[in-house]
Amino acid sequence: MYVMIKMSLKIYKKLDLTGQSCAGPLGELSGVLEEISPGEAVEAILGDEATKKDVVAFVTKKGYKVVSEKNEGGKFTLVITK
Amino acid sequence: MKRVIVVGGGIAGTIVANRMARMMPEELERGDAEIVVLDKNEKHTYQPGQALVPFNVQDPMELIRPERELLDHRIKFLHGQKGEVSKIDPANHSVTTADGVSHSYDYLVIATGSHLRWDEVPGYRDAVYSPWEYESALKLREALDQFSGGTVVINVAKLPHKCPVAPMEIALMLDDYLKRRGIRDKTEIIYTYPVPGIFGIKTTNDVMIKIFQERGIKIISPFNVTNVNAKDKVMESQEGEKIKFDLAIGVPPHTGADVIGKSGIGDKRNWIPTDKFTLRMKDHSNVFVIGDTTDIPISKAGSTADFESYVIANNVTNEIRGNGLKKTYDGSVFCYIATGLDSGTYIRFNYAAPPVPPPPSYVHWWGKLMYNKLYWTVTAKAIV
Repeated sequence: MYVMIKMSLKIYKKLDLTGQSCAGPLGELSGVLEEISPGEAVEAILGDEATKKDVVAFVTKKGYKVVSEKNEGGKFTLVITK
Repeated sequence: MKRVIVVGGGIAGTIVANRMARMMPEELERGDAEIVVLDKNEKHTYQPGQALVPFNVQDPMELIRPERELLDHRIKFLHGQKGEVSKIDPANHSVTTADGVSHSYDYLVIATGSHLRWDEVPGYRDAVYSPWEYESALKLREALDQFSGGTVVINVAKLPHKCPVAPMEIALMLDDYLKRRGIRDKTEIIYTYPVPGIFGIKTTNDVMIKIFQERGIKIISPFNVTNVNAKDKVMESQEGEKIKFDLAIGVPPHTGADVIGKSGIGDKRNWIPTDKFTLRMKDHSNVFVIGDTTDIPISKAGSTADFESYVIANNVTNEIRGNGLKKTYDGSVFCYIATGLDSGTYIRFNYAAPPVPPPPSYVHWWGKLMYNKLYWTVTAKAIV
């Protein structure tokens, strides 16, 4: 089911959030997620599990959906949509 | 002859143009290379200094100088309609200016910066003072001079924005300013931020929150402003909060430049898709993007542009020379953080290493003021 939803979505932007930035992963993501239209998604790469948990909690609370999640060598890739 | 065009003569464009000129003097003298800076404005404003203006720390007149005086004499500078870029066309390696002239290039550096979108939040323009705009910084100085106590709200409307530490600095300088005027005990300072905390990097957020708590600055976050009622002086958020205030200081939403959108080369907020290491525009190897203009998850700050300028100047120069020497950007950023009107700290970090600010001291305040003063003679001219 997750795969089918993901395949029908257009990735608006891929965000590599593994590095440090002043806005932080939540700040960088929140600015981009507000721009997505129905049928679009954002792919976010996160550097550790704690950040991944924070991001999932934050976007879920804001009403977005995490439609896929991958763990590759400790880096997490989430696909997030409205 | 290789032509390098730099679109934008702000902090990023000026530093990178000067650094390239310093790196390839022989090519410029021989006529093997040409550097052209295009900007509508003839004047150059040092925007980071604007946050100090409301507190009478910075003379606003010292923040503006002629761009021509900052640029190396070997750089060609076009301004007015001749320098106002109306279209960027990477597919055809050209930019068009408002006078209708098409300029071809071998290498392009886009430095069109970030711009305020006051109208994205209804009422913001009417009710909120913002040091992110020169004129508004002057008005805030007058408003603070008349202020006798009440509630001050400091708001960040949307992320990302330029000078990311400045909202925290303004809160802490305001605290000190009000104490020195003897009205701090008559004032509540409320700091609002769109995501949990007051700053995006956890190690810095933890230190700064502690300082805010010690100073009695109230934090409301996440707080995503939806509208401001200028008549009743009320700020509302998506989260359902309503803050009644006597004075509001804020950071309006930012986007990239209009010309990026009109040229169809940016995302929905006109930031240009950029490789975070090479600083090349995605899918266009002879186009570099610098400073606030990129979509890289990094700080939109003058120091970011300064660090990036080494990479771009090196790579453009060495591609022209054909010697294959390449540098990559490691995400370096350095920002002083004022923690009052005579104290400061700083953060220095890159993609891999998070910063922990040292304890506030006068030395770092002095460093901040010196850094600002040295901008004109050292940083902007790419001396180091």
